[in-house]
Amino acid sequence: MELTRRGLLIGAAVGGGLFVAWGLGGRHFAPPLTPREGEFAFDAWLKIARDGVVSVAQPQLEMGQGISTLLPQIVAMELGADWRQIAVEPAPVSGAYPNMPLAARWAPLWMPLAPSLADQPGDWLTRRFAETERFTATAEGLSLAAYEGPARAAAASARAMLAMAAADRWNVAWEECEASGGFIRHGKKALSFAALAEDAAGQTPPDPPPLRPEPAAERPVDPAMDAPLAFPRLDLPAKVDGTYQFAGDVRLPDMVYAAIRHGPLPQPELGEADTKDAAGTPGLISVVQGKRWVAAVATNWWAAEQALAKIHPLFANTQPVESGRIEEALDKGVRHGETHRIAEVGDGDAGLDKPTLALRYDVAPATHATLETASATARLRDGKLELWVASQAPERARRAVAGALDMSESDVVLYPMPAGGSFDRRLEHDHAVEAALIARETGRPVQLIWSRWQEMVAGRPRTPVAAVLAAKTDNQGNIATFRARLALPASAREFGYRLFGEETPWDAVAKADGTADPMVVEGAMPPYGIANMAVDHVPVTLPLSTGRMRGNAHGYTAFFVESFIDELARRNKREALSYRVSMLGKDLRLAACLQKVARLAEWDGGNDQSGQGLACHRIDEGCIAVIATASRGEGGVRVERLRAVADIGRIVNLDIARQQIEGGLIFGIGCALGAALTYEGGLPDNARLAGLNLPVLGDCPAIEVDFLESDADPFDPGELGVAVVAPAIANALYSATGLRFRRLPLLSDGL
Amino acid sequence: MPRMTVNGRPVQFAMAPETPLLWALRDAANLTGTKYGCGAGDCGACMVLVDGQALRSCLISIAEAEGRFITTIEGLSRDRSHPVQQALVAEQAIQCGFCTPGIVMSAAALLQRNAAPGEEDIKAAIPNLCRCGVYPRLMKAIQRAGRVIRREETISSAPAPGISASDAAHAVPAMAPPRSDADN
Repeated sequence: MELTRRGLLIGAAVGGGLFVAWGLGGRHFAPPLTPREGEFAFDAWLKIARDGVVSVAQPQLEMGQGISTLLPQIVAMELGADWRQIAVEPAPVSGAYPNMPLAARWAPLWMPLAPSLADQPGDWLTRRFAETERFTATAEGLSLAAYEGPARAAAASARAMLAMAAADRWNVAWEECEASGGFIRHGKKALSFAALAEDAAGQTPPDPPPLRPEPAAERPVDPAMDAPLAFPRLDLPAKVDGTYQFAGDVRLPDMVYAAIRHGPLPQPELGEADTKDAAGTPGLISVVQGKRWVAAVATNWWAAEQALAKIHPLFANTQPVESGRIEEALDKGVRHGETHRIAEVGDGDAGLDKPTLALRYDVAPATHATLETASATARLRDGKLELWVASQAPERARRAVAGALDMSESDVVLYPMPAGGSFDRRLEHDHAVEAALIARETGRPVQLIWSRWQEMVAGRPRTPVAAVLAAKTDNQGNIATFRARLALPASAREFGYRLFGEETPWDAVAKADGTADPMVVEGAMPPYGIANMAVDHVPVTLPLSTGRMRGNAHGYTAFFVESFIDELARRNKREALSYRVSMLGKDLRLAACLQKVARLAEWDGGNDQSGQGLACHRIDEGCIAVIATASRGEGGVRVERLRAVADIGRIVNLDIARQQIEGGLIFGIGCALGAALTYEGGLPDNARLAGLNLPVLGDCPAIEVDFLESDADPFDPGELGVAVVAPAIANALYSATGLRFRRLPLLSDGL
Repeated sequence: MPRMTVNGRPVQFAMAPETPLLWALRDAANLTGTKYGCGAGDCGACMVLVDGQALRSCLISIAEAEGRFITTIEGLSRDRSHPVQQALVAEQAIQCGFCTPGIVMSAAALLQRNAAPGEEDIKAAIPNLCRCGVYPRLMKAIQRAGRVIRREETISSAPAPGISASDAAHAVPAMAPPRSDADN
């Protein structure tokens, strides 16, 4: 246990005691929270100050999803605090916040040889990995699953300690005390947390701490009722006046600004960079050459970018990425590639030597287009490298930086910054490594910001896919056998080799070559009760390095399945809603979403060119059904309305859940109609956001989101909307136009 | 050395005159509320007011801004009290917040010239890109801000920054007024 500087004795003692009490296998960590003067730390999650401020440390990346409100809300409710006394700060990277569910989910990525040893959150190996590797990553919508329990337990401990301190003063039993509104109460007596904090910090809490009987929950109500927000987001006031700082907003004494150029994909090597032409650029300080990039450093970012434009670096690259070659490889894979059966119900090939219907679907590489481009600020001083960066996997970023600079990891300090959107883009940390290297070469603090063009070039897109879906039906369209065959790289494994194996992108591609990857076909198994079903993965090796993106596999598998089901219904003259519901006898939650959305949207069957289209999807325990109204307008698709009903179990914060569904639907519109990249000579053809056909306010449909009431465990709503939009729009377009669109983005097959 | 007025203060930038206003604001004036998203006018994250008009600061040079009155998000109000700021917080029409300053400036300029905009006016005036997808709430928020400007409604959703401890204690029972040194 480490004790540093003043004022830490209390925090350390309390922290140390509690860490063991939490049952973290008896492991000891340095207390992650440093109480300031007048503050008292209660374990790894909260501090209470003499002025009444309760600071909640939260270990997840805030990237817009509201986690920096949700976790404090859970603490506040369990503690009995007044929401107005709650503050939030990013927790430092520490083994005190292991993300066990994500470690279990990603066991195939960090332990590819024997993932079954650690694929349950309670497995000993999972715990050991997550704690010793300080695995606090933010992904897969598992934040609540990972942290609701620890946050509640920490708050319950603190509440018990506050009650003990009050009970001592009143000479009553602490168990008889209540906590509400920031006070401990007994009969008519009340003492504020502020007054009790110091005494409370010295108490020993019961183990395990007594939790309140009910977890945090808000009942779904009609948004039109305009109910006041019980827990308004904590981050919005600072976001609305420009004071909320992102990694590119950090300002340090003597800091300089860097811009960068990466070479053409996949594996560029910097040859010559003629820096002479840049020499006269006003403000230019230096040019830094990496093995695969060149950066300019200047007194302002624009000057650095101008200097780069004059350098014309030459990169050596064999076999640059070409869209034509990507499509050929996928086409060859889906037709002739070696098949790995990932999942099967019954006999997934029964009768499919002569399928009733077999259809081909194609998906282009898709880019995240986060509004904030990759940004990092780095300072190397006295043998310590400080790094300000937004990262979904901060410890991996820290380790990568330490490795690149040949430093001890303990000499790399990472300050967690929020992200200006991520959508899984900030699971990559190339920019953090580059910023650190440039800071070392420059000898001054450096802020690196990628230009939009560089974000297009070197941000890793979601993988392209080619798929064939086949079914055997009777003459009423009842499905006897369903099979989905997806040809695409083992993209999740590739990501795992990069993130956990610290492999270069091309080595990761090579290592993943030819391996089956269940994660890249998730969601391809329909929720429907069909006797025979199979999902096949055909691993395809592409020159393109691919990454994760919001929705991940569901972002294309829902499109395949729900488009295909819709075609089966139509071709057999079955009504699209009742056709689906008839197959959902064992999935009542999804059926209920469908029925409710049909009622609310006044579902008309999509007949008579009404332009209504239906789709539903399930991700684990999350269900959603959507009805889109769309038409072909001037210059493309016009989505007029989206009506969604979701069942996400217990809802902690209704308005944030609604934000996530709304935002997911709109992100899904972007993926359905644009966000695609094509490559020529190793570079994207498009350098600009304007070329991505992303929706703006003027394109945004009317969106209404409702929830079903449920007491099931909370399910993260962030990815559900993304998945279900594309098929709903495609099915709506069929209704409107009689044409089927089997390619993402829709209409990209030239209409 | 172009000179202009930024948030009410006279400023002279010792930078190349063709430097986009965006980078002068961010890297010289440290007004980092104005964001870089594309540098090509596609996203609107860098929107500022130039003589009251919403313009993308990545597309105007400081030479072109010479003599103008520039207002950035930092200068729109001292205390988040602008109706657009209050309404965006009230409607929670913000997620990651990166596009937010630009949207605030676009909406503020619109309401300055038309306090009762219709839906089409709002769509035309807000070209900003938001990848988190706050659009469904924006329309409502901007109309609500219009009602505040027309004095039909008041909002107090975003508290002013820098509330004193004694004011906080006055408003929130759980907060304690600052103790004098003698108490410590």
